[in-house]
Amino acid sequence: MHGRVKVRTTEEERARKEKERQEKLKIYKHAMQQIFHKRKEGELDKNLLELTGKVLSSNPDIYTLWNIRREILIILKKADESEEEMSQLYDAELQLTEYCLKINPKSYCAWHQREWVLTTRANPNWEKELSLCNMYLKFDERNFHTWDYRRFVVSQCKPPLKDEFDFTTDKLMDNFSNYSAWHYRSKMLVELYPDVEGGRPIEDSHHKHELKMVQSAAFTDPDDTSAWFYQRWLLGAVKTNIEVAVYTVSPLKTTVAFSKPVNQTYVASKIRLFINNDLVNGEWQSCSGNQYDVLWIFKHNTDVTDSLDVKMEYDNENGDVQKIPGVKQNGNTYVGKGEIDFQRKYSKPVIEELINQLDSCRQLLAMEPDNKWTLLTTTVFLHCIDAKQYHKEIIENLHTLKTIDSWRAGYYDDLITKWSLEDQLAIDYKSDSIDFKIKFDDKITSLPHLQYYSHCENVDLSNQNLSSNVLASLELLQNCKKLSLANNQLTTLQRFPNLNLEELNLTGNNDLDQEELEVFKKNCNYSVIF
Amino acid sequence: MSMYSVLMNNIKMTLNPKDVIISIDRPKILLLKKHIDYLAKYGTDQDDYEYNMTEYLRMSGIYWSLTAMELMGASDRMPKDDIISFISTCQNKESGGISACFPHDPHILYTLSAIQVLTMYNRLDAIDVEGVVKFVASLQQPDGSFYGDIWGEQDTRFTFCAVMCLSLLHRLDAINVDKAVEFVLSCMNFDGGFGSKPGSESHAGLIYCCVGTLSICKRLDALKVDALAWWLCERQLPSGGLNGRPEKLPDLCYSWWVISSLKILNKMRWVDKERLEQFIMACQDPDTGGFSDRPGDITDPFHTLFGVAGLSLLGNSKIKPVNPVYCMPQETIDRLKLKPQML
Repeated sequence: MHGRVKVRTTEEERARKEKERQEKLKIYKHAMQQIFHKRKEGELDKNLLELTGKVLSSNPDIYTLWNIRREILIILKKADESEEEMSQLYDAELQLTEYCLKINPKSYCAWHQREWVLTTRANPNWEKELSLCNMYLKFDERNFHTWDYRRFVVSQCKPPLKDEFDFTTDKLMDNFSNYSAWHYRSKMLVELYPDVEGGRPIEDSHHKHELKMVQSAAFTDPDDTSAWFYQRWLLGAVKTNIEVAVYTVSPLKTTVAFSKPVNQTYVASKIRLFINNDLVNGEWQSCSGNQYDVLWIFKHNTDVTDSLDVKMEYDNENGDVQKIPGVKQNGNTYVGKGEIDFQRKYSKPVIEELINQLDSCRQLLAMEPDNKWTLLTTTVFLHCIDAKQYHKEIIENLHTLKTIDSWRAGYYDDLITKWSLEDQLAIDYKSDSIDFKIKFDDKITSLPHLQYYSHCENVDLSNQNLSSNVLASLELLQNCKKLSLANNQLTTLQRFPNLNLEELNLTGNNDLDQEELEVFKKNCNYSVIF
Repeated sequence: MSMYSVLMNNIKMTLNPKDVIISIDRPKILLLKKHIDYLAKYGTDQDDYEYNMTEYLRMSGIYWSLTAMELMGASDRMPKDDIISFISTCQNKESGGISACFPHDPHILYTLSAIQVLTMYNRLDAIDVEGVVKFVASLQQPDGSFYGDIWGEQDTRFTFCAVMCLSLLHRLDAINVDKAVEFVLSCMNFDGGFGSKPGSESHAGLIYCCVGTLSICKRLDALKVDALAWWLCERQLPSGGLNGRPEKLPDLCYSWWVISSLKILNKMRWVDKERLEQFIMACQDPDTGGFSDRPGDITDPFHTLFGVAGLSLLGNSKIKPVNPVYCMPQETIDRLKLKPQML
């Protein structure tokens, strides 16, 4: 029951209404009995079409009745009903669905029946269907059934894609707050205007044009959210590759971390490990046991000893062979790092447009410093243009957003964590250290990009705001020996993964259950401090 | 932007036509007993108009009521034996599929509901399980998608039904899981969300179906988690309620579809749980019992389940833990040793 407001009625009124309903119910029950009886007797005829039509006119969601109608139409067609006769029956069927859609424009059954008729009958009139969609979208521009039906019609009569793209422009010019139109537009944009040469999802001039269009929409009414989602997508529409983050070869284990999840076929065909110039054979296993993973473990029988020449080759997505040398650490461990760069790469015209728009945003913000969407957009622009240069301002803005959009404070906390870690990673990856420690003031609330630290032996996550829901992701610390989670907000250790640690520090997590801790400690073969 | 438009925007914030205002006299605490009585009574009057007119979705109605009752620890108030024999009569001997109600036609929606009810009761012996497996498998198409029945309607809801149903029966081997996943992924949109078929707009209900499918198939890696979870947390409106698409009114059922998805993605902290709880509480009807879509509307078993399940996810101690993928008691999922993927 959606959107039915409860109204207080008098006793009389209620009694009258109840009587009316009982009458209706009697008619309904009788009709249904008749229908199912006739069906059982195999009387699939025009009379049954009439009976089911009557019930459906007021209850378009009784799916079985539509099934019965299809059975009848199929039988009549087989029974050599004349083409003209069939055409009339199909027309009547379309009329019935139109009638039903007036009662319930969201009736899945009625929409599907329409599709069925048009794909079953000879010479369907697709033009007419398209204008029907136009009309329905005037009544309700967000009915997703109508949009889905429109896409079905378009898939059948195949008008030029550009016409449909222009249709979304018209719809958006009517009302920018039409998320359905933005959605449809996104689909066509990448079909019509991909950047074939540059490998980007959208060709430059169109990318720029869309950004401009979003800007005028968003500035018309900054509190309408529709355009902002489209904008965020446009800003993310850059080329990103699968990269090797880091690999570790130790006497105990060999691991390779990637920037994105990959499957075994990918790893096995793209990665080669050489020790003293000999190709190492072995088998790849995902860290999580799942089909796709960001961290892969290489099982091999080659001894990892002192003074080896360790090297990895990766056939990267640009078609080059990337050679990553392993650098020796203490205890016969070799670590090789890929190049990391979280900065999004835009073309020159797009970046110019972003800088322009940043300027407008700042002006708007000066007048209205507490507008969530303007502030968020400003912040995202800053991050897209130069995350490193604007890092401080970005983090400050996110703190402001936490207060003015407190519903989503958790989102902004995680964004602070993620972007601060990206900033730190760039520095960490320049050194050969195998220690990981948070080096910024904000306390982290989640553990993004953790595979980038899969080579670290000492991981210090103490004095943060981590809760127990991050524990499962610690699985990525496959080479960790000393782990500190001291002074966090852990409440349970249920999802703590299996790790080959030497020491785990859990002190200062005051909500951890003492009994659970004792049991946990008993099952560990490493020292647990709490 | 002029002062005038700033002012206008402020007015709009307070009088947002796309949100509701929760009046001060709405319920603030859980009316557990009322809901149990409401569901126990629902359908006992065979002449009830509403009950009769919703015959075409009876099987799902039973699932909504029983699951809510299980979560509230009151499933003994449901007529167990009647329900089980009712389900037996709804299975089609030829196809193996199950209908909403005899003599309606079998459909994957009601087949799933029946399997959910029978697994909660641990009474799969009441039907021909092999028949169900055969029926579900027969609906998979070469592109990996599933039809709802023989008539060819295609929808990601049906993929979720198929995958959930077969996993409850430990028979996922009967379908091509990789293809099913491939189809779901072909429905992914610019915002990271999913619609009912390739090209369809994102919708919180269908996002739940697709995220749930990927969770059962252990392919959550394929999601654009940050974009999707951001879109989902932006469903929360000033009233605390959640809508299913941008610029739409809040509705209680979305409190389930959005936060169960966020729970699977390990991002539940991205919404304001306290304000959401207030909205859910306000959707209770203190006179009739049950929950409605919005404060002050008529209640029904559908919204009652999603109100109860939503509160369970928010950690309400009076309600048993619910599994965010199956929307069934966690104890049932544990008994079946099912481990859907969670980030």
